[in-house]
Amino acid sequence: MSAVLKPKSKAIVCDGNEAAAWAVTLARVDMVAVYPITPQSSLVEYLAKFVADGKLNAEIVDVEGEHSVLSVLHGGVLAGARAYTGTCGPGLAFMFEPYLRTPGMRMPLVMSIVTRDTLTPQSVWGGHQDAMSVREVGWVQMYCETVQEVLDTTIMAYKVAEHRDVMLPVNVCHDGNYLSYGASRVELPTQEEVDAFLPPPSTNWHAALDPSRPMAVDPLTGGSGGPGPALFVRYRKGQCAGMQHALAVIEQAHEDWARIVGRRHAPLVESYRMDDAEVALVTLGSMTGAAKDAVDEARERGTRAGLVKVKTYRPFPVQAIARALSGVRAVGVVDRSVSYGWNCGPLYQDVIGALQFAAQRPAAMSFIGGLAGADITTDHFGRVIERVQALAKDGVVGETVWLNERD
Amino acid sequence: MGAFNTIAFKPEHCDGCNACMTACATAKTGSADIINSRIQVVADGDTFELALCRQCGDPKCVANCPAAALAKDDASGVIAWDGSKCVNCLLCTVGCAYGGIVYNAAAGHVVKCDSCGGDPACVKACDRGALTYLTTANIYNEVGDLEDLFVPGLAGCQGCNTELIMRHTLRRIGPDTVLATPPGCVPGMGSVGYNGLTGTKVPVFHPLLTNTASMLTGIKRHYKRQGREVNAVALAGDGGTADVGFQSLSGAAERGEQILFICVDNEGYMNTGMQRSGCTPFGAWTSTTPVGERGKGKTQDAKNLPLLMMMHNCEYVATASTAFMEDLYAKLDRAIDASKRGFAYLHIYSPCTTGWRFPSAENIEVARKAVETNFVMLWEFNPRDGLRLSRPLDEPRPIDEYLEALGKYRHLEPEQVGHIEATVRKNVEQIRGLAEGRRAAMA
Repeated sequence: MSAVLKPKSKAIVCDGNEAAAWAVTLARVDMVAVYPITPQSSLVEYLAKFVADGKLNAEIVDVEGEHSVLSVLHGGVLAGARAYTGTCGPGLAFMFEPYLRTPGMRMPLVMSIVTRDTLTPQSVWGGHQDAMSVREVGWVQMYCETVQEVLDTTIMAYKVAEHRDVMLPVNVCHDGNYLSYGASRVELPTQEEVDAFLPPPSTNWHAALDPSRPMAVDPLTGGSGGPGPALFVRYRKGQCAGMQHALAVIEQAHEDWARIVGRRHAPLVESYRMDDAEVALVTLGSMTGAAKDAVDEARERGTRAGLVKVKTYRPFPVQAIARALSGVRAVGVVDRSVSYGWNCGPLYQDVIGALQFAAQRPAAMSFIGGLAGADITTDHFGRVIERVQALAKDGVVGETVWLNERD
Repeated sequence: MGAFNTIAFKPEHCDGCNACMTACATAKTGSADIINSRIQVVADGDTFELALCRQCGDPKCVANCPAAALAKDDASGVIAWDGSKCVNCLLCTVGCAYGGIVYNAAAGHVVKCDSCGGDPACVKACDRGALTYLTTANIYNEVGDLEDLFVPGLAGCQGCNTELIMRHTLRRIGPDTVLATPPGCVPGMGSVGYNGLTGTKVPVFHPLLTNTASMLTGIKRHYKRQGREVNAVALAGDGGTADVGFQSLSGAAERGEQILFICVDNEGYMNTGMQRSGCTPFGAWTSTTPVGERGKGKTQDAKNLPLLMMMHNCEYVATASTAFMEDLYAKLDRAIDASKRGFAYLHIYSPCTTGWRFPSAENIEVARKAVETNFVMLWEFNPRDGLRLSRPLDEPRPIDEYLEALGKYRHLEPEQVGHIEATVRKNVEQIRGLAEGRRAAMA
């Protein structure tokens, strides 16, 4: 049975959680597992309502916790379903065990992380610490800047996840508070457009539980003898290769989407006013809007500032970052989370790693802001640009700067 | 050829009262004189020997008979004697090694047991439990031709009954099944497999230890959505059921997911080195409740998991034991049927030869003692009829008979045995109360 969603392409006003729900509906998912958590709750409420209203023809499973949310979807995917859920913060922590297993099983499901700062101190507000804490697990992670990007990326995420060269789960990360509840004008694609973009899922017969083709899924693999080590390495290498293939697949998906709906988002990194930039900001997620304003203001003052937004965070677009930042004199990386062990932001770590591959390597500093829902304003970014200008002059990399320390 | 019912004799339960012989003689001749009994129980030192026709599969008496007066009935398996053909040569008595066919002077010809048409008088007369009429052969006749859905050579411990549980349950459930075996003894013996080889012929997988019921939920829901009838079945240990797996189990039961969840309860984490679980009973030695100068085994009672599942108002809940296979099979059938409407939960006790420390030949007897002492109670539940006892709880055998069979209780002190006795009594009263409550509600 097909979904009964019939609107023509039209503009609606909605927040990021509703936009994600529309995307899931247009992507004709088979199964949604639901457990509420702030600030994701309205997202699953929208989905439940869409199912109740007959807009979305999906199996909706209300379970007793996030661990089961992902576990139910594991079962669904192994039976051939296209599956979706969303979570954040403590919910993501609780589902970590099945989360850890998802990419190794090559399950192409999509899960929104409506990003939230992690405990403790107790907090229900936005921040990237949850998604960052799981960055090395093997999920593709894409961060959105706008509500429109949430909608478009959630649909594109299935194209990426289900691509035969990828076959990996995708997190679409949208900022708690700022994108989850921030409403804006959104172009809603038609069902026909989405159908033209996204074919029905095909069963992954490498890992399927179907009595018509019996197989053992995920037997013990490895050990020190027999074919164990080689087999285990083959799986791991294949998983790494899938991640690397995802870079090109993400670019192609964005290209295809732009061709069909006429909207173009930068697939890996977006360069903003970088052509002659001497100093650059590197941003992630919804903070980018204010950062672009700050760049514009700096330009008006005569500062040659630019910005690089990271859309695809895992796999990390090393070459794209290196190219985008090569030639600038100094870089300020603004993180909405921390790396405890390095006393800086995790995106900063990744960027300085990628800069090893830059033709001309700029100095880079770490800035941390927007924790627990704090606003990162154009003033904050203005201060970042000033600090990075100083770095461009003296080349002395200072300690990490905490933007909201005195707010 | 099918298998047949038979009369079984347990000399250790016999006190030589002769009631069986009196009953037989009366039934067959009208005289109570035990000389006329077809069953003869004879004292042999401290024990007793049985002289009775075994209704052999390859009967020497039939082969020896020159007159075709003896023949095995294909339907009942009983070897019938035809007086109109018998020539009284007594060659049959020479062939029989069991004293099962003998010359009877009063009758003037040989006599033998005819199983009283399937309702033997001797068994009914024995109130000691020394004679039982075994009808378990029906299981073989009914499921013997069904495909065993596991390959030969699963690597279970010697004498383990888990392999028996796996093979019997799955062949009955059938091939249109997706089987979940969370980490534990079931996959530990190779059912999911190792480095590319598998021991199972249906789709099988390791869930996490925590999420078996949730993964099965996703599988079942999607196949239902596609209009396909696929059984979603779990064969899980007690740890993956009662401890870390309980949240997902409880959620699936509350939602009424159409799953058949079988818990193989060996009262601990036996696969990974015999550690304590929530199902480990009071006093039991495990590797994390060791016995030493201070430690005396587990200091808490076991969690009553099947009762917890009953309180979820599942479509079907039952306890079963491999010492009572007919009962197990009947419950399995009802559980399979119930899983097409809602959540079905089957709790099967699995004595662990390795972790409970008893000889590998005694698994079924240990399972039987657990039931006969009321340490384990067999019952079943559905929301319409409530809880029903599968066998009476009256006159249990002394708990010592069970505890002394197991090395894990070797260290028990009298007060610990007293605690276990009290726990068993309390559990019996609780289950009896629930069963009687059912009767009251039904009346």
